[in-house]
Amino acid sequence: MKKLAWLMVLCLVIGLWGSIALAEEVTLTITWAAWAPMDTLIALAEEFTAETGIKVKGDPVPWPQYHDKVFTEFASGKTSFDIVLPDSQWLGEAVVGGHLVDITDWFNEKVKKEDFYDTFISSFCEYPDGSGKYYGVPALGDFFGMSYRTDLFNDPEEKKAFQEKYGYELKVPETWSQLRDIAEFFTRPEKNLSGVALWQAPIPTAGLTDEFLACFWSFGAELWDPATKKVKGYLNSEAGKAAARYWVDLYKFCPPGSANYSMDEANTAMQQGLVAMMGTYLAFYPGLVDPDLSAYWDKIDFFPTPKEKDWYVQLGGQGLSISAYTPHKKEALMFLEWWLRPETQWKWAQAGMFSCMKPVVEDDKYLECAPVNKVARASYPHLKDYWEIPQYNEMGTVMAEILNAAVLGKYTPDEAMDLIAEKHEEILERAGYYK
Amino acid sequence: MWGSPKGEIRLGEIQNTWANRVSDKGMLYLFLLPTFILLLFLVIFPLIWSLYLSFCDYSANTANPPVFVGIRNFSFIFQQKEVWDRFIVTGKFVAMAVIVEFFLGFFIAMLLNREFYGKSVLTTLFILPMMFSPAVIGKFFRFMMDTNWGIINYILGKLFGMPKIAWTTSYEYALPSIVIADVWIWTPFIVLLSLAGLSSVPKYLYEAADVDRASGWFKFRYITLPYVAPILLLAVLFRTMDAFRFFDLVYVITEGGPGYSTQIVPFYIYKLAFSYWHTGRSCALAYILLIIIIALSNIYITYLNRLRRA
Repeated sequence: MKKLAWLMVLCLVIGLWGSIALAEEVTLTITWAAWAPMDTLIALAEEFTAETGIKVKGDPVPWPQYHDKVFTEFASGKTSFDIVLPDSQWLGEAVVGGHLVDITDWFNEKVKKEDFYDTFISSFCEYPDGSGKYYGVPALGDFFGMSYRTDLFNDPEEKKAFQEKYGYELKVPETWSQLRDIAEFFTRPEKNLSGVALWQAPIPTAGLTDEFLACFWSFGAELWDPATKKVKGYLNSEAGKAAARYWVDLYKFCPPGSANYSMDEANTAMQQGLVAMMGTYLAFYPGLVDPDLSAYWDKIDFFPTPKEKDWYVQLGGQGLSISAYTPHKKEALMFLEWWLRPETQWKWAQAGMFSCMKPVVEDDKYLECAPVNKVARASYPHLKDYWEIPQYNEMGTVMAEILNAAVLGKYTPDEAMDLIAEKHEEILERAGYYK
Repeated sequence: MWGSPKGEIRLGEIQNTWANRVSDKGMLYLFLLPTFILLLFLVIFPLIWSLYLSFCDYSANTANPPVFVGIRNFSFIFQQKEVWDRFIVTGKFVAMAVIVEFFLGFFIAMLLNREFYGKSVLTTLFILPMMFSPAVIGKFFRFMMDTNWGIINYILGKLFGMPKIAWTTSYEYALPSIVIADVWIWTPFIVLLSLAGLSSVPKYLYEAADVDRASGWFKFRYITLPYVAPILLLAVLFRTMDAFRFFDLVYVITEGGPGYSTQIVPFYIYKLAFSYWHTGRSCALAYILLIIIIALSNIYITYLNRLRRA
């Protein structure tokens, strides 16, 4: 009887010990788009696990479904993930909905803001701008850039012919006007070659709006008055209309039928050698220089989106934020702290990813980590992001759909910009911004 | 032996179980209960809740509760030119898809409605498209119809020297491209129902007509058609209802473009609900679409009843 009692006590102790151990075993789930940076992040997180015992797993979602999947989970009030990497423009939508943890106190204590470019802080972390309220830390410093075929650009015959036709040397374009000339020069339908592939899809994210805005801002236009939020007279100013006219004209030098191009189509056009230049978020560069995917992998290099009157580059990338519905807030903050360490950032950079940390980016060793890093360093001081208010998706859709229609001749560029301005003010009016 | 630990049958004990105390009517309700509970939570409650939301200013993406606004969502929808444009596109799509599927499906069924070697294999092949996921088919069509590397332009170019057609990205061809994909998937449905109707026509009627030396057209007009008309109408009814709530092919093939020229109403409802988070407004539009589908179905059903009586 005594033996039996001891046995029962032993079983009880083992059971309790096991359940405590189980309770302490935490797995953090990170959701992000299904792309190379996600794989790299999860691989890197093994070091975090080794250090803390907290496991990390990824929940990748294809880009086109990423926003809707994340926000549908947010709307349900329960998320399958603990950490999310929202696109910069989603921040307002997520914060207003109460879906992200306010980490302001932690942020002020742990993050050295001067170590990051201002745009990354304001776009990935702070909402509303200038409020001093923080909801994330910078993660991937992506941006819109251009790729080009070095074999075409460096060909002496091509250089000579270009010089004769345009009166200046064929090289990487520094202005949007030069880009148009080069696109025109290389448009050769008989050889199945077009000048440039651009994102023209009528969708708010990963579509026309992303790429057009770099051009739009560089032409000297603005989306709105930041104080009053009035759009008319800004978006459809003469500078805005000039940008739209330029954009519609440039479509002549894009591949036929490319009005639905997003990341996959544009990348494929470049990989198959159908275009001389191509614009994309440069975090997609690995597919362009991969011998298994790209027929021109060793003939592709990169340059920043050009300037015109001004020089602005469209911000891409994401920050790391914590879901308001996670039971593992403490562990998630530990992950963020680990992420911000310079040594983690260097490993991230060495894996070919864009770091947002100035001391890393401005170190010359960073240039050796990836062929696109020289473009990142040149582009970062010129980064600009579009609307981060909850209505961004509707506004981006309106812009993408109407400009896409203009590209295909349904509206003139001037009509399109007037119509977009009108629709944007209607959206903002309904949302109560003009009260 | 059953019901008694001692191995004896005790009738009194058996009659005293809970099952035997429930009346026949009670048992009926008990069997219906699981289905009713499922229907209540999965169909009836969402239906009533979404009806309520259609009268509210509400975004499911925020923590704010729904605010009752009367018919404001409905009046807003009717005032928007973009919404009317989407109804017109939906009407065009439904008309084109259902008409082509109907005639093509019935024609194929007529061809299959005879005995020949390999008939069963051919019939199975014809109905295969219906078994695939429309999203997967949409992706295939998107690739096949691509302007630059799609196989359709390649074949047209090689065989007929035709220039590249922007199937999914031009105003002329985008909607017909979606119709083509829909026809490919759903014509077999009409084929199946037509075959069922055709096989129900009594053979002796044709034999009698042959004795009277009736023409092929006469036999089709006065024997085949009256017999298959009700089932054909039913097929058209199903396809019309289905075409009105069609979504996946548009999402995959054109994403609603060029501009918003292929955004049919269900696609727009999706955008309102899950991209813009205008939950109340999207519910209102969904109810408008539901009323249209019910009205159209009633017209069909009235006509179908008349046909049956005739």
